[in-house]
Amino acid sequence: MILGYLLSGLVTGAIFAVMGSGLTLSYAATGVFNFAHGAVGFLTALLFYQLNLAAGVPAWLAALLAAGVFAPALGYLLHLVMFRGLAQAGETAQIVGTIGLTIALPALGLLVVDLLGLPRADGTTLPRGIGPHPVLGFEVLGARLDTDQLITFCFSAVAALGLWAFMRHTPYGLRMRASVDRRRLATLRGIDVDATSALAWMLGSGLAGLAGVLAVPVLGLDATAYTVLLFASATAAVFGRLRSIPWTFAAGLALGVVQNLVAGYTDFLEEITGLRTAVPVILLFAGLVLLNRSRDRVAGSAAEDAPPPDHLAGVPAWRRRLPWVLGSVALLVFTFAGPEYYVDRAAQGLVLALIFCSFVVVTGIGGMVNLAQAAFASMAALTCGWAFSAGWPLFAAIVVGVLAASAVGMLVALPALRLGGRVLTLATLALALLADQVLFQVDAFSNGTIGWALPALGFGFADTSDPRVRVVLLLALIGLVGLLVRNLERSASGRAILAVRSAPAAATTSGLSGPRAKIVLFALASAIAGLGGVLFAVSKGSITATDLPAFSGFVWLAVVVLQGVRRIGGAVLGGLVAVAVPELLETWGVSAQVGAILFGAGGMILAKHPDGVLAQLAESRHRRRQARATAAPAEAVSAPVQPASASPSGVAGVGPEPLFRLDGVVAGYADCTVLRGVDLEVRPGEVVALLGANGAGKSTTCAVAAGDLPVAAGRVLLDGVDVTAWPAHRRARAGVLLAPEGRGVFPGLTVEENLRTWLAEPDAVYERLPQLAARRTVLAGALSGGEQQLLTLAPALARPPKVLIADEPSLGLAPLVVRQVFEVFAELRERGVALLLVEEKATEALAIADRVAFMRLGRVVWTGPRAEVDGDRLTAAYLGVT
Amino acid sequence: MVRRHQRRSAAILAAAAVLFTGLLAGCAAQQKSAGGGTAGVTDTTVKVGGVLTKTSASGYSTKDAEIGAKARFERANAEGGVNGRKIEFVGAEDDGQDAAKGDAAAKKLVQKDQVFALVPVHAPNFGGAAFLEQQGVPWFGWATGPQWCGTKTGFGYSGCLAPKKGAGSQTWWGSQMADLLGGASGKTVYVQTTDSSGSKYGGTTISQSFQAAGFKLVGLNSGLPAAAPPPDWLPYVNKIMTADGGKAPDVLVSIIAGTKFNVGLYSALKRAGYKGVLTDATSYDPAILKDPAIAQALEGVVAAPMFEPFESNAPEIAAFKADVEKVSPGATLTQHMAIGYWAADIFLDMLKKTGKDLTREKFLATGNGSYTYENAGFGRVEYPKDHSEPNGCGALVRLEGGAFRVAKSMKCFDNVPLK
Repeated sequence: MILGYLLSGLVTGAIFAVMGSGLTLSYAATGVFNFAHGAVGFLTALLFYQLNLAAGVPAWLAALLAAGVFAPALGYLLHLVMFRGLAQAGETAQIVGTIGLTIALPALGLLVVDLLGLPRADGTTLPRGIGPHPVLGFEVLGARLDTDQLITFCFSAVAALGLWAFMRHTPYGLRMRASVDRRRLATLRGIDVDATSALAWMLGSGLAGLAGVLAVPVLGLDATAYTVLLFASATAAVFGRLRSIPWTFAAGLALGVVQNLVAGYTDFLEEITGLRTAVPVILLFAGLVLLNRSRDRVAGSAAEDAPPPDHLAGVPAWRRRLPWVLGSVALLVFTFAGPEYYVDRAAQGLVLALIFCSFVVVTGIGGMVNLAQAAFASMAALTCGWAFSAGWPLFAAIVVGVLAASAVGMLVALPALRLGGRVLTLATLALALLADQVLFQVDAFSNGTIGWALPALGFGFADTSDPRVRVVLLLALIGLVGLLVRNLERSASGRAILAVRSAPAAATTSGLSGPRAKIVLFALASAIAGLGGVLFAVSKGSITATDLPAFSGFVWLAVVVLQGVRRIGGAVLGGLVAVAVPELLETWGVSAQVGAILFGAGGMILAKHPDGVLAQLAESRHRRRQARATAAPAEAVSAPVQPASASPSGVAGVGPEPLFRLDGVVAGYADCTVLRGVDLEVRPGEVVALLGANGAGKSTTCAVAAGDLPVAAGRVLLDGVDVTAWPAHRRARAGVLLAPEGRGVFPGLTVEENLRTWLAEPDAVYERLPQLAARRTVLAGALSGGEQQLLTLAPALARPPKVLIADEPSLGLAPLVVRQVFEVFAELRERGVALLLVEEKATEALAIADRVAFMRLGRVVWTGPRAEVDGDRLTAAYLGVT
Repeated sequence: MVRRHQRRSAAILAAAAVLFTGLLAGCAAQQKSAGGGTAGVTDTTVKVGGVLTKTSASGYSTKDAEIGAKARFERANAEGGVNGRKIEFVGAEDDGQDAAKGDAAAKKLVQKDQVFALVPVHAPNFGGAAFLEQQGVPWFGWATGPQWCGTKTGFGYSGCLAPKKGAGSQTWWGSQMADLLGGASGKTVYVQTTDSSGSKYGGTTISQSFQAAGFKLVGLNSGLPAAAPPPDWLPYVNKIMTADGGKAPDVLVSIIAGTKFNVGLYSALKRAGYKGVLTDATSYDPAILKDPAIAQALEGVVAAPMFEPFESNAPEIAAFKADVEKVSPGATLTQHMAIGYWAADIFLDMLKKTGKDLTREKFLATGNGSYTYENAGFGRVEYPKDHSEPNGCGALVRLEGGAFRVAKSMKCFDNVPLK
């Protein structure tokens, strides 16, 4: 019997494995965890079903078209309109964007089915699989299997082998793995990471589609079932540490077997409703906590979620608040004059707004994405109901409920101390599902399906059964929460939180406690969510375990982030929008699917404007003002481009024409200009040493030269061709190679694979550098510093670029290795490469240089032959003494 | 900095003061909120509307109940209305199987559309019960959830199907099955539910129903995951096939909503060689006959509807079919149509018995004052008794050769207290 469970468990596991591999692949290649992975599977399955049933296409062909053509095409399309932007948009926007898709994609599919009058497709339809229909059964080793299961297993095996071969033995696979390993370096090696991401999305979607089609005879056309499948697959991906496809695959197979064994042998768990269903979720949580300690972002926060510039900073306080005060007054007037039904809707919107305020605390301030907010609200409401029915006074029951939510929040914060970023997000997801599936199923706590009844909250002269009272009460509470948030941001602990968020290590060394700050945030946020949950229950008159399902927490997050999660205003707007939009759609007789699609489209907007509607309004206002201000004194801000040096840099005729030239380049980061008009030339077979003090702009010059940083003004010329607009990978392919500061190797690839990112055939390198030949199968990350630097430069030896830019090549290396590195440079010069060496320590560079350029404060202040460099010039360059 | 701080705080205080004044003003202007007992009633019309789960994430839909109710109301109107008043049916709202949306839908119907009563309410997760009870608005439908039970305003067409412990619980399913199989003595039954408290509760009541009829319960399993069917049925099928001391049980009862689950379970059982009776509450759905594979998987299943089957010869069913054909020509008859129809039928009867002088208070007084109504279509309801227990009536149909046949016509049995 156990063999039977094992065999048929492997079949189930194969579906998890295929879906999980796609998830891992796209996450590793692009950094976006795609919650919509299951939705892609659903849409593909829907197409398969309709092709087969409505269009009469044979099942095998329908499967091929759906999973082999449609799903990759969908992946490419999503890459273009959404994922490409999301990859740069910060974690919150990524999560919200893909959650939006989870809702929008199935809705889109079902709307099309509706509009075209295709056969009904919902949870009650039972689509066939790829194989014979009805299925044929047979026995293998005493286990009863059917043809669909056999096909599933075969397809998964083929997909696994194909994926392995693709990743390990094709240049595309190598490029993808290189981009996963070090994205920036990959572009410098001429790899178009954008195209690589597109490929990853196509492959990932294809796998999701394949899993979708394979699963459809079992799951039916039920979008929820596909989301459940996604969670199980996420468990597999987590056990593959979101990086390793083979491990993900193995974990997927194992999960299938474990589920079967649990279903077969754990009847003793039957008393605890939901526990056995929750096995994948429990494993997900365990996997996250045990395997996925975030290494780079320990503080459980996303430092790259930098706050947007405050465009309203210059506006007086009264003016900033005016719209909100007016809005509140208008709402109050409406409350006492408007029809009861709409006032009730407004009150409902404000209840949601109060819950949404908790996102402002935990995500807006704390930078942690929490998907368990609905669980907190539900927890508080159920506890309140339980306490009230046990005879407590209502006010006391409410306090107990809020405290319970707060306590659970602290409990959730404990894993948050160790986890960071997406891992934390997934952990809150697991806890939310666990609460839904197990905790809220405990009859004593949630009173079964009946739930708890709650009376209206009385104030002596009025009670909350009147929606007007609720509006006023909620406005007051939201105002209080707003005050609290403002004080939090300005208090010592608020500053500590911000410090921990933006620079965890620095904060720790300054004696700030990250864990304490995080616990405070989580406890506070869940208390606010809890208060909202209790008021939700009070205004509804009852609460059951299913009133605030976990999934609504995901939708809430999306609604708030779309408006702007950094301010209470966003939460209030979000609450009102969440109630008003469905109401309007219904009034206009628009299909509910359209609402879901619009919601998903919001995710696409987010890919472009990650800070939400409010920030965007402020920004456009700011821009309008700026445009008006600049219109009058024209040309006031144009960059000061001027001949940079008094030296004869432009004196041509000394040798051949310059091969590579920077011409009056102005560049910088955001609002901070670093290069203020850099002129620089390198000729073939010439070594130019670029020297300067720390902060002079040397590395920025390298980045601009390689195309890694866009230019605000000026030109970059290669062989007389203007390459200013070329992206980094195109310049690299044209022969501009940058060996970046630190080590320019892919630590996760072997020596051989590192070389293959630039060379078709690395043998020449091994002849020249035998110490690398001995270690060709070793991961580059395991090499010594010197070996890594040689590996960085080795490709250039075998296939010399036109221009080699080396940023601090001797940094941190032993003198012996430094000499070897400079020997490489000398050899390259002999072979006609134009070399630009950037060094802070001048001695070694000066020894090899033909010409020297000094940089100071973003300009080249002197250029001249090596011979003209003396102590005075060096002093002047480094100390700024003239 | 400090001064700016203080100024801002002052501004906030001022805003708070505005809010507080608003609060006081609000209380001064406090009015009676409900629209009175005659809302939705004119001399010539009574306005009603319903709440259904027309759409849901799982695809479950009760939208056909709107057709059923409409068909019944049109007949009443064609016969001249009730006590001189025609029924103005504003249609049904969709709650999307979301309790909060259901609450909003109930409020919209009562506050905005000003209906007299909610007919039909057929939504498994209906969230408007507390509001309707508080406002004293009657509502009629299929009382599958506990929110119906113990109210004074919620009238299930087959009583309250989620009785509390100690209240009456149905025995008709087991008794009808015993009659069908020629007695229950020596026969075994296995009950399969999903891993959720709702389904487990169903398992308890149905087990009791079969035990009361004389069956021997050899298994009550609630291991199935609730959200989606298991990708692999093997562990569940193994348990069933060996439940009766190594043998398969005589009867398998599936308390699982969703054809998908049942088709998966039944197909797996048949492949494993199960020869006993399969029975469930949801398979009586003519729509499933359209797909030969589903029909094949469900072949032989005994479904247990809580209304007289459409294949019956009763005149009430003929009238039902004619009425539906009038409002929706060519429509396939479904369970939800019947539920909408019979819920409307009971509402009309209660309306007639209330008389010409109509308010919600009078209407509820009629409904809750020893009200009894019998009809071959759904058996019998007795209120206020059926506010807390099921009406105890049901029928059986069997799927044979790709068509449903009446196995047992509608019959009512005595309830037993729920353990």
